[in-house]
Amino acid sequence: MIQRYSREISTGVALLGLLAVLLFAAPSFFRPANLRELLIGNAALLIAAIGMTLVILTGHIDISIGSQFAIASVVMGLLAKEGASTAAAAAGGIAAAAVLGAMNGILVAGLGIPSIVVTLASMIALRNALRWATEGKWVQDLPATFQWAGLGQAGGEALILILTGTVFAAFAWASCNLQAIRLLYATGSSPEAARLAGIRPPRVFFFVFMGMGVLTGLAAALNTIRFSEVQGNAGIGLELQAIAAVVVGGASIAGGRATLPGTLLGVLLLATIGPALTFAGINAFWEKAIQGSIILAAVVMNARGKSAHA
Amino acid sequence: MREWRLLALLALEIAVFSFTALNFFTVGNAAEVARLSGEVGLLALAQTCVIITGGIDLSAGSMMGLCAIVFGVLWHDAGLSIGLSILATLGLGALGGFFNAFLITRLRALPLIVTLGTLSLYRGMAEGITEGVRNFSGFPQSFLSFGQGFWFGFLPPQAILLGVAAVLFWLLLQRSVIGRGLSAIGYSPEGARYAGIPVRARLSLVYTLSGLTASVAAIVYVAHLGQAKSDAGTGYELMAITAAVLGGTSIFGGSGSIAGTLLGLLSIVLLQNGLRLSDKPAELAGVLTGVLLIAAIGMGQFSKLFKDERITDGIEMKNSQVAVLSTVIIAAALLVAGSNWWMVRSLVRESPRGTHKPVVALMPKAKGDPYFVSCRQGAEEAARELGVDLLWDGPTDLDPAKQNEVVEGWITRGVDTIAVSVENSEGISTVLRKARAKGIKVLTWDADAQADARDFFINQATQQGIGYALADEIARLLHGQGSFAVVTASLSAANQNEWMKHIKARLADKYPKIKLAAIRPSDGDRDRAFSETQTILRVYPDVKVIAAIAAPAVPGAAEAVKQSGRSDVKVTGLSLPNMCKPYVHAGIIESVVLWKTRDLGYLTVQAAKAMYDGVLRPGVTSIPAGRLGNVEVRGDNVMLGAPFFFTKQNIDQFDF
Amino acid sequence: MIRANSISKSYMGVCALRDVSFELRPGEVHALVGENGAGKSTLIKIFTGATSMDSGSIEIEGRRIEQNSPAKAKGLGIAAIYQHPALFPDLSVSENLALRLDDLSPWRTVNWTEHRKRAVSLLAQIGAQIDPDAEVHSLSMPEQQLVEIACAVGAEAKIVIMDEPTASLPARETEALFRTIGSLRSRGVGVIYISHRLEELPRIADRVTVLRDGCSIKTKLISEIDHSSLIRMMVGRDLTSIFPKRDIPIGNIVLETRRLGCQEAGIHDVNLTVRAGEIVGLAGLVGSGRTELAKILFGLTPAGHGEILLNGTPREIRSPQEAIRLGIAYVPEDRPRHGVIPAMSVAQNTSLATLQAVSRAGLLDYRLENNLAASFAAKLGTRLSSVFAPVSSLSGGNQQKVALSRWLATNPKILILDEPTQGIDVGAKAEVHRLIVNLAAKGMAILMISSELPEILGMSDRVAVMSSGTIAAILDRRDATQDGILSLCLHGNVARA
Repeated sequence: MIQRYSREISTGVALLGLLAVLLFAAPSFFRPANLRELLIGNAALLIAAIGMTLVILTGHIDISIGSQFAIASVVMGLLAKEGASTAAAAAGGIAAAAVLGAMNGILVAGLGIPSIVVTLASMIALRNALRWATEGKWVQDLPATFQWAGLGQAGGEALILILTGTVFAAFAWASCNLQAIRLLYATGSSPEAARLAGIRPPRVFFFVFMGMGVLTGLAAALNTIRFSEVQGNAGIGLELQAIAAVVVGGASIAGGRATLPGTLLGVLLLATIGPALTFAGINAFWEKAIQGSIILAAVVMNARGKSAHA
Repeated sequence: MREWRLLALLALEIAVFSFTALNFFTVGNAAEVARLSGEVGLLALAQTCVIITGGIDLSAGSMMGLCAIVFGVLWHDAGLSIGLSILATLGLGALGGFFNAFLITRLRALPLIVTLGTLSLYRGMAEGITEGVRNFSGFPQSFLSFGQGFWFGFLPPQAILLGVAAVLFWLLLQRSVIGRGLSAIGYSPEGARYAGIPVRARLSLVYTLSGLTASVAAIVYVAHLGQAKSDAGTGYELMAITAAVLGGTSIFGGSGSIAGTLLGLLSIVLLQNGLRLSDKPAELAGVLTGVLLIAAIGMGQFSKLFKDERITDGIEMKNSQVAVLSTVIIAAALLVAGSNWWMVRSLVRESPRGTHKPVVALMPKAKGDPYFVSCRQGAEEAARELGVDLLWDGPTDLDPAKQNEVVEGWITRGVDTIAVSVENSEGISTVLRKARAKGIKVLTWDADAQADARDFFINQATQQGIGYALADEIARLLHGQGSFAVVTASLSAANQNEWMKHIKARLADKYPKIKLAAIRPSDGDRDRAFSETQTILRVYPDVKVIAAIAAPAVPGAAEAVKQSGRSDVKVTGLSLPNMCKPYVHAGIIESVVLWKTRDLGYLTVQAAKAMYDGVLRPGVTSIPAGRLGNVEVRGDNVMLGAPFFFTKQNIDQFDF
Repeated sequence: MIRANSISKSYMGVCALRDVSFELRPGEVHALVGENGAGKSTLIKIFTGATSMDSGSIEIEGRRIEQNSPAKAKGLGIAAIYQHPALFPDLSVSENLALRLDDLSPWRTVNWTEHRKRAVSLLAQIGAQIDPDAEVHSLSMPEQQLVEIACAVGAEAKIVIMDEPTASLPARETEALFRTIGSLRSRGVGVIYISHRLEELPRIADRVTVLRDGCSIKTKLISEIDHSSLIRMMVGRDLTSIFPKRDIPIGNIVLETRRLGCQEAGIHDVNLTVRAGEIVGLAGLVGSGRTELAKILFGLTPAGHGEILLNGTPREIRSPQEAIRLGIAYVPEDRPRHGVIPAMSVAQNTSLATLQAVSRAGLLDYRLENNLAASFAAKLGTRLSSVFAPVSSLSGGNQQKVALSRWLATNPKILILDEPTQGIDVGAKAEVHRLIVNLAAKGMAILMISSELPEILGMSDRVAVMSSGTIAAILDRRDATQDGILSLCLHGNVARA
């Protein structure tokens, strides 16, 4: 058990270590309000990372989610401006991202183009298309009920936390207990064995990319309702954050191995670093270097785990 | 096969742009295209080798940033000679590449993840070393000429360097024993090992070489822009990978060629260049690049799907053929260009002034930035009034190298007036001087270049003026004592760092009781500004003022203050009225400091036209500027006026 | 239950099956025998839908199947155990069983306790001692094979296909497997059983069909046929005539190992000598350590203890490069993965181990390279359209010749051949054998690993038999018999004692 989940455990230990240091260096970090803000602020990242976990699980990668995120946000804003309710606007944004995800899926599954090439192309093309369309303008003058979906701040925050928690719990449960997700594990572990067992890998790939789109859309929706305006260039670098979180959480980028609790730990670890540095009074300049070191540390740890059971 | 397709694509691009783009088909433009593809081209060559082994190097762009900084530190701080600094920097590049190689070969970790980690690490180190703020300029002319000058009168050194590098990489990859091994490793690492190829040593070589090439690119970049900054080369790795993959290098490893990569690079660069000269938006180039990539790879996959399992060993195009064909095309292009040059030039020059609408080209620092979007509205208003053709183009993100590229494009295109909001004054001044030498009127607006590189500067408020105004406003809100925090753009943003300098000076001078608690970056992202502000409020409960000094950061900070329910904290900063209106009315934002950006754009175009007409010339003390009335000219500065304070009382009068 | 009529199939222009007909009855164990490359695996892949046929027809349970697919075959009650286990390495044994046995509709929930219970009972049923919670990548090859068998049993399939299930099974598990097959048969299940161990057929099979060169030669009741006539049908001619063994003067000891071993590779105390001009056959079951030994000799796996002497001098071989420098060449077993690089051309494959020889100042000379490839193609009789053709476009035999030419180009003193004729057709096989003999005649020391006993017997001057990681015995050509070698393979330690 400990052997099998050694990667997740080491990520957990790293997180605990960081928190322990904070306990002494900056106890105010643990004020409930701060923790709540931390969770809400990273809800979108967690949702996107759930999708990325599934994609990486099947041995693929999606670096276009930042662009999808931006498009979903803007679509949502425009719909709301047209008078759609927040829920309807969110549905529209999710649908838009789902379509974009499905496009990736068709190219990966149907034509067999490597996913990194497909999503590199769609990342560049979509981001530029959006810029072309919006010319960098924000979507402003949204109805007052847009922010927090009309529930007020406390209600909205609760909504985000509940939704994120539910989605995570659902996927965490499903990843152990639902055949659909187990098929992802199987396909990622060995596409050929999957084929022989009667699974159709291309279909699996298509759905996983579309699912990534849906989750990206949801992430965009949860992020957007925290504000009263929609910015035009959201989500830059989201893909790298999500991939980093998944890998730090112990997933194997070659596919077949990833756990959602691991991803949660990865998101929490990476999300804690930034504020932790501020709390500890370290200035921001070294933050990126520290994040890079954490990713590399995870890589080193994974590699050592690998040689242990090889 | 792939090379043929790319050649066809290139021919198509050249054919289309020869018609749609002004002066596309000229020697000068060819030289500029070559100069601008220098850095990315170098990275793409190295990346081809990496990808052929089945790997990828995402850290190349970040390595450029780190190398640029270290080069600057060595030369400026350590006082080493340029030569020694270059040598040491190259060593660092090789070392950084070797570190990647070490992790990949010894730990058998996947290159994608390892280099994703070092992508953050190297960029982070560059930021850490400079604390984001410092940058290095003032390099000797002999060094700069390497990046900015011409050899033999028309050849940019980058072209020669890229050519030499291409030949070397071609020898290495396609002619040498080592290259054959690389390809074997890419097809089958195990198979290569069984054939007695030292897989680890070869992979180490490739990643080390990639790091080394990145350091060469960094030196070229610094020489080109005259400034070493930690953001050098941001995102270049993706362009390099795109070029290599478009050029037919298989992302699975094994196959690929240097000729293909060069063709891939050329088709992307020509696309950008041609679209710019055709006055099409730069975003279109991005969209088309993505589509091209899918189409090129997809076509290969598509034909594979519908082919028999049998492999046709038919039309394998040999490199010699590609080389011959490329040479023929380039020679033909030069020939046609040479003969056209006279014709086009005479056509352009002889067109009578009366029927020729003056062309004013305006460049923001970043096209998508709402600040500049509002400037553009004013510029367009003036252009309509005056009947001039307005070109509006610039980098989509803050990217000094891109600014040079756009100006080069305009020079080639032959515009009448250029007005630039300068991101990097060292870097752009060279091209601006070149534009002036070609008889183009040059203005700067929003941020200035070196004084001899432009005719006039449209001065909306000096950096010092802004810094002092902000400091005074902060002091007013704090009633002379207390602490405040700053949310800036990115840590390396030049303007913001300049303002910070003046704010700090003013505080030290006049308000000793005011303390600056923290400076946090927002990367120009509203959401990031939001969460940074949240953290600031938690960590520094005694901070009573948040000064956000990037347009999207102000509403982000204000939203964070609003959601925290802290009515004792006020937000101020530099931003646009429209973004901030709700928060100003809610009393969270006390004031937004800015000039009337719309008027800035308006005045810039007015001044450009006045210059074109000869009204604005050295010695005048004022010019008429449409609805702004007479505007003061002080020396070579056209004064818009002092910074403006948008407050609850006046903000509704503005719509931008 | 299965009726196949005149099935044909070819891969890349090489005919794998020609006009093959086959029939399976309920409650029957139908053995399918033939040499490697005779088309057995292709035939069963067609039944399981893993590959498609070019012409012919299949009826399963009286229903004519037009478009077969793995999912469809599964639905029709066909379960297969492949030679190379098709399992999910990252998943546990019980989940592997579940994925192979259950309905895979996505919205079902997974009942882990149920899965585990079933795994325990299935594993017990076939007599395997495997932890159902272990991840498959941590299992040994035979253990994975057992999981495959458990899958087939658990499928309650009407038709079970077993492709060499006993190839790597220890004796005890083999017995358990036979009991399992017996109970399947008594339940009316039809079993197609492929094996190279002809001696086990009378114990379990009812009928036997012989395939040779892609054609079905004959189907007979097992009781009607004896061992030697079965072999005659498989091979198509007498054993002696096909091996061109010549008597060659044997020279000095070129390669010697003393108590050579490696803990991780499971090899210990190997004492072996190979002389110039000698062919030493290395026999043993899959998993007995033959390939691992070869990898140590070639520097792919570092030796843990003991020493290697070349021409009497102790040498350390730390990498393939060093091995090549010392005059050792190794033609590996897994041709597409290790032996050749299929996507590269014949010329590129031929020169890969001797790039220095076809280059000047580190730069390749294509003319030299092409000449090298062409000359070896001529010498070895490799049939190819041009030296620029990718190796993947060649047939198995010709691919093997390319693999050989790569190593012959290095001018080795010691040549290690690992299953040199696996998966190539009979004609090519004979050519390869002739080549090997000629090489020995030129004074090369040859160590030949093979699973085909006739090949071992026909080619070797001496036969070394490996069993559980060490040499069980070394037999002289005159003393070696098929039965003797086999019993040494199976019970190496007993025989030695």
